Amino acid sequence: MPFRAFPMRKAAALGLSLAALGAACLETASSASTVIRQKSPTVSFVSDVKPMLAKYCAGCHSGKDATAGLDVTKLSAADLMDESDIWNRVVDRLSKDEMPPKGMPQPVAMAKTRALTWIKNALDKECRIADPGRVTIRRLNREEYNNTVRDLMGVNFHPADDFPSDDVGYGFDNIGDVLSVSPLLMEKYLSAAEKIAHKVIQVPGVKTLHIESGDMSGGANSSQRDDGWRAFYSEGAMEKAVDFPAGGHYRLRIRAAGDLAGPELPKMEVKVDGKVFQVFEVGVKFPNATVVEAPIDLDSGTHKISVAFTNDYYNTKDPPGKQDRNLYVNFVEFVGPTGAQAPMSPAYLHIIPTQPTPDTVQPDARRDIKNFATRAFRRPVTTQELDRLMTVFNVGLKDGSFSSGMQIAVEAVLASPNFLFRAELDPKGSKAGVRTLDDYELATRLSYFLWSSMPDDELFQLAAEGKLHKDAVLKQQVERMLADSKANALAKNFAGQWLQLRKLSIIFPDPQRFPGVDDAMKKNMATETETYFMYVLQNNRPITDFIDSNYTFVNQKLAEFYGMQGVTGDQFQKVPVEEPRGGVLTQASVLTVTSNPTRTSPTKRGKWVLEQILNAPPPPPPPGVGTIADEPKKLSATSLRQLMEEHRKNPMCAACHAKMDPIGFGMENFDAVGKWRTKDGQFTLDTTGVLPDGRSFSGPMELKQILLKDKAKFARAMAEKLLTYGLGRGVEGADKCSVDAIVQSSATSGYRFEDLVTQVVESDPFRKTRLSTAQ
Amino acid sequence: MNTIDRRTLLKGIGTAMALPMLERMLPLTALASTPKVKVVRNAYLFVVNGVEITHWTPAADGALVLPNILEPLADVKNNLNVLTGLTQHYAFANGDGPGDHARSCACWLTGVQARKTSGADIHNGVSVDQIAAQHIGKYTKFPSLEIGCERSGLAGDCDSGYSCAYSSNISWKDDHTPNAKEINPRLVFERLFGNGDEEEQGESLARRQILKQSILDFVSEDASRLKSQLGRKDLMKMDEYFTAVREIEDRLVRFENSPTYAASQAQKPMGIPGDYGEHIRLMADMMILAFQADLTRTCTFMFANDGSNRTFAQIGVPEGHHDMSHHGGDPAKLAKKRAIDRYHIEQLAYTLKKMQSIEEAQGGTLLDNTFLMYGAGISDGNAHNHDNLPILLAGKGGTNLQTGRHIRYNDGTPLDNLYLDILDKMGVPTDHMGDSTGKLQGIL
Repeated sequence: MPFRAFPMRKAAALGLSLAALGAACLETASSASTVIRQKSPTVSFVSDVKPMLAKYCAGCHSGKDATAGLDVTKLSAADLMDESDIWNRVVDRLSKDEMPPKGMPQPVAMAKTRALTWIKNALDKECRIADPGRVTIRRLNREEYNNTVRDLMGVNFHPADDFPSDDVGYGFDNIGDVLSVSPLLMEKYLSAAEKIAHKVIQVPGVKTLHIESGDMSGGANSSQRDDGWRAFYSEGAMEKAVDFPAGGHYRLRIRAAGDLAGPELPKMEVKVDGKVFQVFEVGVKFPNATVVEAPIDLDSGTHKISVAFTNDYYNTKDPPGKQDRNLYVNFVEFVGPTGAQAPMSPAYLHIIPTQPTPDTVQPDARRDIKNFATRAFRRPVTTQELDRLMTVFNVGLKDGSFSSGMQIAVEAVLASPNFLFRAELDPKGSKAGVRTLDDYELATRLSYFLWSSMPDDELFQLAAEGKLHKDAVLKQQVERMLADSKANALAKNFAGQWLQLRKLSIIFPDPQRFPGVDDAMKKNMATETETYFMYVLQNNRPITDFIDSNYTFVNQKLAEFYGMQGVTGDQFQKVPVEEPRGGVLTQASVLTVTSNPTRTSPTKRGKWVLEQILNAPPPPPPPGVGTIADEPKKLSATSLRQLMEEHRKNPMCAACHAKMDPIGFGMENFDAVGKWRTKDGQFTLDTTGVLPDGRSFSGPMELKQILLKDKAKFARAMAEKLLTYGLGRGVEGADKCSVDAIVQSSATSGYRFEDLVTQVVESDPFRKTRLSTAQ
Repeated sequence: MNTIDRRTLLKGIGTAMALPMLERMLPLTALASTPKVKVVRNAYLFVVNGVEITHWTPAADGALVLPNILEPLADVKNNLNVLTGLTQHYAFANGDGPGDHARSCACWLTGVQARKTSGADIHNGVSVDQIAAQHIGKYTKFPSLEIGCERSGLAGDCDSGYSCAYSSNISWKDDHTPNAKEINPRLVFERLFGNGDEEEQGESLARRQILKQSILDFVSEDASRLKSQLGRKDLMKMDEYFTAVREIEDRLVRFENSPTYAASQAQKPMGIPGDYGEHIRLMADMMILAFQADLTRTCTFMFANDGSNRTFAQIGVPEGHHDMSHHGGDPAKLAKKRAIDRYHIEQLAYTLKKMQSIEEAQGGTLLDNTFLMYGAGISDGNAHNHDNLPILLAGKGGTNLQTGRHIRYNDGTPLDNLYLDILDKMGVPTDHMGDSTGKLQGIL
């Protein structure tokens, strides 16, 4: 939630031009007879600000009916930080000579300057000692866990897909305070650690990889029976991608049976990676069974195994019981590897580069575990930790082998809180205050922000050399990281939550009204927006492209959905768009997540714009607000817009709905799945709207123009969201200075997206932390 | 998404399976040792967005005559009680403004007014199932089981300023830790029975225990050391980790001979079925299996997250559930909400019928020996009120509780009183919970 702000309504009123103030202020003090003070060396609140406010402003801005709700007599030097919004506005109005209004007594230039000097210095000072905040220790969330395992171990294995969902806070699922460890999750961590360790560190010895027919795909011409047999009644195949952690010599075993008919025996064709390995003849009649075997050599890695029935036969002229030839398969097994040790997988070699001799078992283990744990903990492992890990290794070594010891040590590392949590530990004996994060902590924050994963070798190297925090180096790293394909995590995780694309998976538009919007189409919609997001980021486009632009990304299916011509193929490509399309508000993904399953929801769309674009969520409905009157309105007789007028008839509802509904009305040309329409059923659309500040528009183009004018607000919203996501905590009052600085920097560079991300990384809250003893 | 269109039938669930399975897998339960102490379970099944209350409430008190929504329960009517008029004071706003779905969901099993926050500093209370689990959980491999059909909130806040944690969980371990639920039936099965990897690894059970223990020792030590360097808020997180590790350690030591995959005759589910009804039934099967094998005696089951806008095309309701629950008096929407409620009841009927058919060695059926509460935290979905909650209590919890009744309570009678009864009968006498005023009258 944004920091405590001056009440919305009052702030909006303050923002309004006060030209209409007129004769509200009654005091008519003469303008030029202010006593000119002696030049005093330092400005102070008491001598320079308070009296000026009292004399020139309090006339209107005080008391119960204070204009725009601002009572200057209540302002004090102490509340500068909390009321910085108000103070900033005071500075703004005074320096632009907008206040006091023309025709009212004006302070002399000197007095004004002195007052402004004091206020500006004070605001500056507050910023210089501003608290960078502290992030509660964060555990890896599901995405981060999967990515980290990928990068740490080199295996493409997603154990976190089975983890329970991460709870969301401040709009994101990576917030330290909100992520918890339930007992269920701990079980899964342990189980995942075991699976990963076993997958990568193969202990030599013969194993059986057993695959039930029920776990294999395919199904068009076969039927999986309850007794575990797959029955092929006609020709067809079943297949599975099988992981072979260790390569070598295996024995293939398949339990099969057949129904015999005709001149041939049922033929079972086994393919490996698309090539025929062997065709077996199955001569045993079901329900008896046989196990056919064959030797096979396989490299480590994933191989596609397929089993097919290739010679169906059916002839009613044959004697009964011998008319129909079928094949039945129960399971497929690979037993091995046996014989000479095949080369280990790259993932294994990454952790254990050389096999030890009997003399070097302990030092080799220590060396290998040290390297692994350092990478896994994302900072040098301590001697004491290493000693304890060696103890674990030796438990595994006993009655086992070097590999089994390494396996168990790897498992322990993966289950450790030092792996699962990103700890930022204050040096022992620190007092209250602020410290700069060390390079390892900075590297970790950086990589999880931009890649949702652990630092890579280059980042670790720079951290080890103590160079990462240097401004030039940091900036260059951000550039490198954003150009890396791992930065797609930002599209998936940041954009997915900021733009709420993730909700697509739980929205089911009515198939009667909106045919063709199935899982595949929704995936295309999400891909459009994610690709768009990455384009704006990686080409350092201005963030206003999110509001409006003249391009987007589609593949053939999505292009057809939009009614675009000339796009072919599955690949997404950049295409020009014409108004009113352009920008995320007109993309099918956003339009669908802001609708109901059977119709559009102007309120949801308005709320989405307020929350996601302007970071100014409407307050929740007031207590006791009740629901819309009970008379059943016939939806078919009234247009949606007329129905929504109910919101605005009731003054309790109107205050907030007046903010949300008009925006949604402006988008009504896009139906509940994002297609263009000019009518809603039988009703013509009224897409005009008036915002609370009085600006009016007609249709999506004009609405976008209005939003574009608010681009400073949008930049601020983006900065806050990036900061929230990058830090893993909500934005607080003390962050205001940093956000101000980011937005100002951003303005000078034309609000470009990559620059904005860099400015977030360079900000104090990202690079520093408040010490825990200060809590 | 790993959805499939068919589910693997669990073989032999029912009378044929019950006896042999229980006898073969006897862990340290009272079942074997002290026949006079009954093994009693408690289960809490949660539906969302309220119900169409006029067709839920039986017309007359006393002998139960099933109204429209509850008609599918005809075959199990004599084993349940419908309780009308119960309320939860702390599910109401009480000055906190809107957010009824999240707030009442958080309150349903805790009785506590959840703190309104969408980010940090979540604060609720301990739920009744966990109070029970804290006492009887030590007799079973898993202190409790939390299952559901929908993942927790995916983006944004979930209800007017309340964190998604509130609307996605009904089981709370302590006042800030919800117990995450499992939504994939295959994973529930694997958790209960192992996943067969053990045989593949070729390691002996004893060796696995030693290895696991050394890992747990290592990570516990890591956690202790970390704690000494952390700030106050960080400590809470590390405590969660630490507590979880300790529970697992405990389980490792005490349940070495638990049923493993090979020993169980049940067939493992393939994954999450595409059909919602199948999904619910398959999860219910898992709960029943867990009870039968005495792997746990406490279970919470969320049919959906509160506020869910799931569509029900399969029963002619393509609109979202939440949208229909805000019926505004419109007869068409009321009818659709009713259809959704009935659909859920059909799944409950399946569950109760199965439990009713399982004879137990200790006497009675599984249903006889279970307290199963089914209901919602909201009464009428349109009014969002939390008095006159739709609640039914199935089973007898091993007592001679009279069933087959509709009992109407005076307005304002706390639902939390029922929890005191259940806890008492489970051997966990509790004085007070939420807004309770004492045990519920008319139950025993």
